[in-house]
Amino acid sequence: MVRAAWWLLRRLGFYAVAAWAALTLNFVLPRMMPGDPATALFGRFKGELTPEAMDALRATFGLTDEPLWRQYLGYLGHVAQGDLGVSLAYFPTPTTEVIGAGMGWTIALAGVAVVVAFVLGTGLGAMAAWRRGGPLDTIGPPITALLSSFPYFWLAMLSVYVLAFRLDWFPVRHAYGLNVVPGWSLEFVGSVASHAILPALTMVVASTGGWMLAMRNVSVGTLGEDYVGYALARGLSSRRILVHYVARNAILPNLTGFGMALGFVVSGALLTEVVFSYPGTGYLLLQAVRSQDYPLMQGLFLAITLAVLGANWLADVATVVLDPRTR
Amino acid sequence: MRRLAAVAGLVLGCGSDRDEAPPGVLTVVQEQQASWVRNFNPLVVSGSARWPSACGIHEPMMIFNRMTGVWTPWLATGYAWEDDERTLRFTTRDGVKWSDGAPFSAADVVFTLRLLRDHPALDTSGVWRRVVDVEAPDASTVVVRFGEPYVPGLAHIAHLPIVPAHVWGAVADPVTFTNPEPVGTGPFTEVRVFRNQVWELGRNPHYWQEGRPAVEALRFPAMPSNDQANLALIRDEIDWAGNFVPAIDRIYVGEDPEHHHYWFPPIGSMIFLYPNTTRAPLDDARVRKALSMAVDRALVVKVGLYDYAEPADGSGLSDVFAGWRDRAPGADADWVRHDVARAGALLDEAGLRLGPDGVRRRADGSPLTLSVIVPAGWSDWVRSAQVVVANLRSVGVDAKLQALDFSAWMERLTRGDFDLSLGWSSEGVTPHVVYQGLMSAAAARPVGEVAATNWHRFADPAVDELLDAFERTSDPDEQRRLVHAMQARFVREAPAIPLFPAPSWGEYSTSRFTGFPSADDPYAGLSPNLSPDPLLVLTRLVPVTERQLTQAD
Amino acid sequence: MAASSVRSAMWRNGKARVGLVLAGLFLLMAVVGPLVAGDPLAFVGVPHDAPSAVHWLGTTGQGQDVLAQTLVGAGPTLLVALLTGALTVGIGALIGGLAGFLGGRVDDGLSLLMNVFLVMPGLPLMVVLAAWLPTGPVTMVLVLSLTGWAWHARVIRAQSLALRRRDFVVAALMSGERPLRVLVVEVLPNMASLLASSFVGATTYAVGAQVGLEFLGLGDVGAVTWGTNLYWAANDSALLTGAWWTFVPTGLSVALVGFGLTLIGFGLDEVTNPRLSSPRAPGLPVGQPPGSTPVVRRG
Repeated sequence: MVRAAWWLLRRLGFYAVAAWAALTLNFVLPRMMPGDPATALFGRFKGELTPEAMDALRATFGLTDEPLWRQYLGYLGHVAQGDLGVSLAYFPTPTTEVIGAGMGWTIALAGVAVVVAFVLGTGLGAMAAWRRGGPLDTIGPPITALLSSFPYFWLAMLSVYVLAFRLDWFPVRHAYGLNVVPGWSLEFVGSVASHAILPALTMVVASTGGWMLAMRNVSVGTLGEDYVGYALARGLSSRRILVHYVARNAILPNLTGFGMALGFVVSGALLTEVVFSYPGTGYLLLQAVRSQDYPLMQGLFLAITLAVLGANWLADVATVVLDPRTR
Repeated sequence: MRRLAAVAGLVLGCGSDRDEAPPGVLTVVQEQQASWVRNFNPLVVSGSARWPSACGIHEPMMIFNRMTGVWTPWLATGYAWEDDERTLRFTTRDGVKWSDGAPFSAADVVFTLRLLRDHPALDTSGVWRRVVDVEAPDASTVVVRFGEPYVPGLAHIAHLPIVPAHVWGAVADPVTFTNPEPVGTGPFTEVRVFRNQVWELGRNPHYWQEGRPAVEALRFPAMPSNDQANLALIRDEIDWAGNFVPAIDRIYVGEDPEHHHYWFPPIGSMIFLYPNTTRAPLDDARVRKALSMAVDRALVVKVGLYDYAEPADGSGLSDVFAGWRDRAPGADADWVRHDVARAGALLDEAGLRLGPDGVRRRADGSPLTLSVIVPAGWSDWVRSAQVVVANLRSVGVDAKLQALDFSAWMERLTRGDFDLSLGWSSEGVTPHVVYQGLMSAAAARPVGEVAATNWHRFADPAVDELLDAFERTSDPDEQRRLVHAMQARFVREAPAIPLFPAPSWGEYSTSRFTGFPSADDPYAGLSPNLSPDPLLVLTRLVPVTERQLTQAD
Repeated sequence: MAASSVRSAMWRNGKARVGLVLAGLFLLMAVVGPLVAGDPLAFVGVPHDAPSAVHWLGTTGQGQDVLAQTLVGAGPTLLVALLTGALTVGIGALIGGLAGFLGGRVDDGLSLLMNVFLVMPGLPLMVVLAAWLPTGPVTMVLVLSLTGWAWHARVIRAQSLALRRRDFVVAALMSGERPLRVLVVEVLPNMASLLASSFVGATTYAVGAQVGLEFLGLGDVGAVTWGTNLYWAANDSALLTGAWWTFVPTGLSVALVGFGLTLIGFGLDEVTNPRLSSPRAPGLPVGQPPGSTPVVRRG
């Protein structure tokens, strides 16, 4: 138990270092950029603004020429207070507010999708390993591999066009209907669910294969362990062995991957959100990039990194709980 | 299987289907946003305020109609230049009320102008560089005094969105003020719904135009991309939009020819190919003219703009300034016409002779290599530039296309670090602003210094004299004569190579509302992108259902 | 397993054979394509012309030949993918190998570095980096390698950690050879199959990620690659206008290349770790505990 706590603490320390690295990267990157946001923003209006507007923009954003180290310290101080600056594209809204509005949607959509894909994939993987050479084991991996070989956005766009637009089976965009009032009403929840089906489905289709293959290969190894052979010799039911002996042990390495994958999916949701016009952080990031909104870009990158670190931490805790050796 | 989704929805107790707007509510798509942020500050420049802030909620004193080229009186009933064009006097409209019922007066205009003086961040057109004083001698008169005569200042002041003194007077920092519960004089002022995906703006109960607007409310669904906006257009979920639609006749009009319409008049800014005139051989007018003649503009607009635009004419002016062009024979530049043979002859004459490899040589024998820079994300420009590059190669110029990230492109353009670049012309209500950006010596900055305009750094002191004279006269005939003289300088010097006037995108559906401007009824520009013109449209639209319902009754 | 026997075993493996044939075909296409196709940017026909005898795969929204663009696009796309694969595995082998081989403080430091890069969200970092660096293939390779090396480094570290204790390595170290030399000459060659499968994995990933970034408009949209083909197709609203032929050929090419590479990866895993493939009666225990296939992720 002490060992487990110590290990978790060490992981926490590591996450702190990772967070600092991300923060620093965040600070350095925009300063490598040519130009300043006022000039860039002036340009976005394609001549609609008078030349004088450029000075007005500089005054609005309060751009500074402080020495770098002082800017860096100031930046760290602000971040520590939860102040990520003011978004330029959504001026004068604080970036934290802009991000907060999108984060919930991303986590809900990507979270559901990754959990479904994980459960489905590991289940199928365990079954494939159990029935080695069976139909699932033979055709499963190639088929899922082919599905995940298609560019994700390609499948997503095709499904929006065919399934949602032409066949009218699903809503084409957004996270809920425009005529639905957000709140804990059944109508709203239903609307959210029906809007989430297609984007979540495309994510599940694209990512289940990886889990399946990973689980299958680990399970194959676990099946070779002595205790499984012993359980078989004792005449325990296949189902019992599969669930209690094989899956439970084989899932551990997959769980570590799960934390990481959650991060990949939260960020990978970017493409999903672009295609489905889902009001999450992924789309915000692309918009921030397109409108040279550096504070928002920084804030989003930081928020996503922190979300990934959090997910990894949870996966660590889950590993400690599930792994008998750490107890 | 929307049925399936609906079944899933029904299980959870929902039946929400298409996102239809209630009757009488006009669905508009102008901004591309993934989710809405509440900001209705009409004075802040960054584009972060919602679209109707300056053309629906708040109104200017006058509106310049780009289609007709005429000023429409709005919150002011008229203006006059006095005191040798040093004083501008506006007469404000009587009987106008703010949406909270308080009366509007000239004091509000003065308050707004002084707000700009006290907060330079709001003075986006540099009004207070010329203006020395503003006052309201009575409730319906605004007097603006200029240090020097500056007639183009009319546009900046007349187009300023006016905010209420009795509300904004209490605002601590108007630069960061988001104006969440706006009080305006405009036709739509009441924020009925504001959610991340959709928001609605209801009618102003005190609107000064009797019986208007006929539209009950405006509705803005968040459409983050052209693709999504196009899908919604095709499904007739949008009444009015200003986005680009490819193959529009087929995919939009073809879907419902009776109701789906579009109109793309070329009243945006002029798109130029800017030659850096500080770099040889682009400092030679003959070379610039030759490059211009090498460009096949018909192909540029076909490939880059789906044939929605027309090739530029020889005045360098877009159709906004149609009435200003000098149409006399020979006043037009002949060097905007595609003529490869003459282009080659001119280049030979300028001493750039063809080498054995088909590439022209500079005087020192080095190959004539020129790169064209464009922002990578602007697909229409990238395509146009691809054609331009191919055209230039055909006359022996070793042209290269460089697509840069927007910021990097902007940086190189504004600092003069380029050979050739695509770029826009400044927009305004007279050609003064266009020719100023193209040729003014005063606007030219040394290479390395950020220039807001005149990126190609072409300085013609003769033009500055004309511009100066233009700024001092309000006599239309004299103004026209001066513009014709500027056009003559442009035609002679070829400071920049006009490609095409940018079309202003506008689509509408008449299945729920009528009264949109069109080529047949060009009372205003259709595009919602041109603020404050949409005020002209919003107050003219009439719901179809209303009439039909009355008939049914 | 000796290299030649791996090669013949790969060919005998059904999945690997299909994968090799697929990947080979597309490599051939990348090499021969530009020679047979005309200028992919030339405007040769009416926009969005359906496939016909003249234009086998139709034309783009600008009247360019889709077949030519697909053929010519293969080269730069695959080149970037292969270079990324090589660079990714190179960095991974260097850092992972050093960490596992040297152990101690070096291992702690490098492992931290790996883990930091591992938890950094890849796609956002790619988007941000691609926006900040000048566009072009070099940037693409750098961005993809920078965001992709950590995973491979981790797997390679685990393997070299195991190899370090082997007799021949210990012997080499005892005989006074420099550790770096031992790493390069003795250790790395002994994980050739792992490096190969990492390379295949990294290349597969690079194809997809590259196409994704370019689709978002973050590549050089003036160049002809599979990613920019899809960018322009989307830009011209290929689906809305019903011009599926501008969208499908490139998408299929990307999928088939990725599929081929994945199959090669399967094959490599099965050949070098036979337990993963040999079919057995259901439910029977098999062989020894797992060695270190790349799918075993132990933190």
